[in-house]
This record gives sequence, C-alpha cells and structure tokens, in this order.
Amino acid sequence: MNDIVTAVFLIAGGIFSFIASLGMLRLPDTIIRMHAATKAGALGAGLILIAQAFYHYELATTLRALAAVTFVLLTAPVAAHLIGRAAYCSKVTLWEKTWIDELANTCNWRVSEFEPDNNSKSEAPDPKE
Amino acid sequence: MSNLFLMNLFLAAGFCAVLGHLNVSGFLAGYAIGYLALWITRPLYEPTLYFAKVSNILRLLGYFTWQLIVSNLRVLWDVITPTHISKPGIIGVPLDAKSDFEIMLVANLVSLTPGTLTLDISADRKILYVHVMFLDDVEAMRLQIKKGIEQRVLEAVR
Amino acid sequence: MNMENFLLKAATELTLVLLMLGILLAFIRLLIGPDPADRIVALDLISILIVAFLAAFSIYADEKSFLDVAIAYALIAFLGTVALARYRERLAKKHGQLNTDKDIDT
Repeated sequence: MNDIVTAVFLIAGGIFSFIASLGMLRLPDTIIRMHAATKAGALGAGLILIAQAFYHYELATTLRALAAVTFVLLTAPVAAHLIGRAAYCSKVTLWEKTWIDELANTCNWRVSEFEPDNNSKSEAPDPKE
Repeated sequence: MSNLFLMNLFLAAGFCAVLGHLNVSGFLAGYAIGYLALWITRPLYEPTLYFAKVSNILRLLGYFTWQLIVSNLRVLWDVITPTHISKPGIIGVPLDAKSDFEIMLVANLVSLTPGTLTLDISADRKILYVHVMFLDDVEAMRLQIKKGIEQRVLEAVR
Repeated sequence: MNMENFLLKAATELTLVLLMLGILLAFIRLLIGPDPADRIVALDLISILIVAFLAAFSIYADEKSFLDVAIAYALIAFLGTVALARYRERLAKKHGQLNTDKDIDT
C-alpha cells in the first residue's frame, strides 16, 4: 500500500518539476518565467519529499522530510520575491502583452535603500568609476 | 486557550503511548481524537477561542491546498500548449494586515499560489504589489486576493 | 507484492529521468538567459530540482541519509540565491538602472 502511494507522489512530483523547467524555457519574460520556476519547482520537490517520507515510514525520517518540505515551501516564495524585485527594479523588459503596471512609479526608492547616504540625492548615481 | 492546546498535545502523546509505536499518523490520529474529546466536554471549561482557531487554521490549509492544485494546473496548461494565453499585469492590493508576521504570511501565500507573485510592498506597508499571470479584471482579482487569502489568514492568526 | 515492487521501481526511474531532463532544460536557460536575473532564476530552479533528485535517489538506493544531504543543500542553495539577488540589485544601482543589455558586460 505504501509503495503505491509513494509511486503516485513520485510521478506527480516528477511531472511538476519537468513542467517547471519546460516553462522556464518556454515562457516569454523573466517574471512570468519565475511563476513557473519557483512554484511548480517547489511543489514538485515537496511532493517528492513527501513520497520519500511515505517510503521510509518511521518517525525520525518522516519528521525530517516534513521539516524539509516546510523549509522548501517557506524559502521558495522569499527567493522569488527577492529575485522578482531585483529583476523589476533593474528594469527588465516586460512582455508586450503586459497591459497594466501599477508599480511603475514607486520602485526607485527601493534600490537606493540599502546605502543610506545615497537617499538624499534625488537623481540616480553616476555610473562613472 | 494555550491550556487546552497543551492538554490536546498531552492526549495525543498518551494515545501514541497506548498505541505502542511512534509515528506521525498515530500522533495525528491521537490529536484528532483528543480534539473531539475536548470538543464534546467543552461546557466544562470557561469559554475559549481554541476551537474556532483550530478550525480556521484547518480551513486556511484546505483552501490553500485546493488553490495550489487548481492554479498550478492552469499554469501547466499555459506551458504545454503552444500558444501563450496569459495576459499578465502588475496590480496593487491594499493590505489590512498590520504586523510583520501577518504581512509575511500573506505575501508568502500569495507568492505560492501560481498565477500571482509578490513583487514589492510599498514604503508605508499599506499596498502589496502583485504580478498576476491571468489578469482579466483588476477589481475582481483584487477582491479575490483580499477575500480569498488575506481574510482567511487574518481569521487564522488573530 | 512483487507487482508493487515493480511499480515503485518503474516510478522511481521515471522520476529520475524526468528530473534529469528538467535540470538539462533549466541549464539551457542558464546558458542563454538574456538578463542576469534569468540566470539566477535558472540556478534557483536547478538547486530545487537537485533537492528533489536527492530525495528521489534516496528511494532508489534505499538509503535514508541522502535526506540529510538534501536538507543541507536546500539551506545553502537558499543563501546562494539571496546573495545573487542582492548582487543583481547592486549591479542595477551601480549602473543607474540602465537597460539590461548594457549592464551585462561589466
């Protein structure tokens, strides 16, 4: 019985992971690619870890697998958020079908936030060395 | 409230001890049976939020799992069909969540449901900027995020 | 009983193959990605797929300790992704948020 559950979770996780990287290759722009990559990837990894927990069915292994699943599901959105903000603030080109952008004027303060002495300057810093 | 939670954990541990071997499903079954026993005998204690809170958290988990599966299938459909049907856009969602923990939970859950991705939060922590992959109606999407995710999170946490 | 064993073995091998193909596709994006952010996303995806691969391989080899490796790898990969995202933001700041094709060749 456990073997069948393990097999089902394994195949579902494998298919989701494969779809994630297929989307990574095929979708049109960076932020849309992140939709496929971070979430379907995390879901696939989580499913495979759960399959592993069903296969070695005892408390120590199950708890470790659950901890790993929690960790993956907790860090994937944080990483996605960081990369997405970096990509957006560095003015990555958005796909032409993007039809509304309410963030357009509010992003500049974010980039200069990490070095407080630059906050007072209103224009972007000069690229010269 | 924390008293009842401790008692529930104690009942689950006792169930495991009676069962004789330690694994997660035994513990969960013990927790469920203990919860049921506490619920039946609830006139004995002073009024408490514990039962409402547990059911709210369970409802959040159930909603989240369902949302995860449904919208993952939608993204999957867009990936495997040769044409791209997505209509992306970036919208701002006004937040009711106040504390760091609530905002973190809302942002993470929004990010984890495929089709929506948290990009940024405004300086005064009032507006969450979300990239949506299938955006047909801005107001409807805003309402869905507010009613669907944020309200449930606030019910479960507060 | 034998049937179940066969099913599990076939499923494990199929999953390992799917994961390897996935890593290959993500690697192509790592090579061609027009923006550094694309490459960071590809690296993140590759590390998540490697965690999944380690979990699947611990079933294939019937060896529990691969799970510990997977957990440690997930921790380190998350740190790496955060550091790279910070790097991308700094790059944008240093070049005054120019367009992508210009700040690639630093």
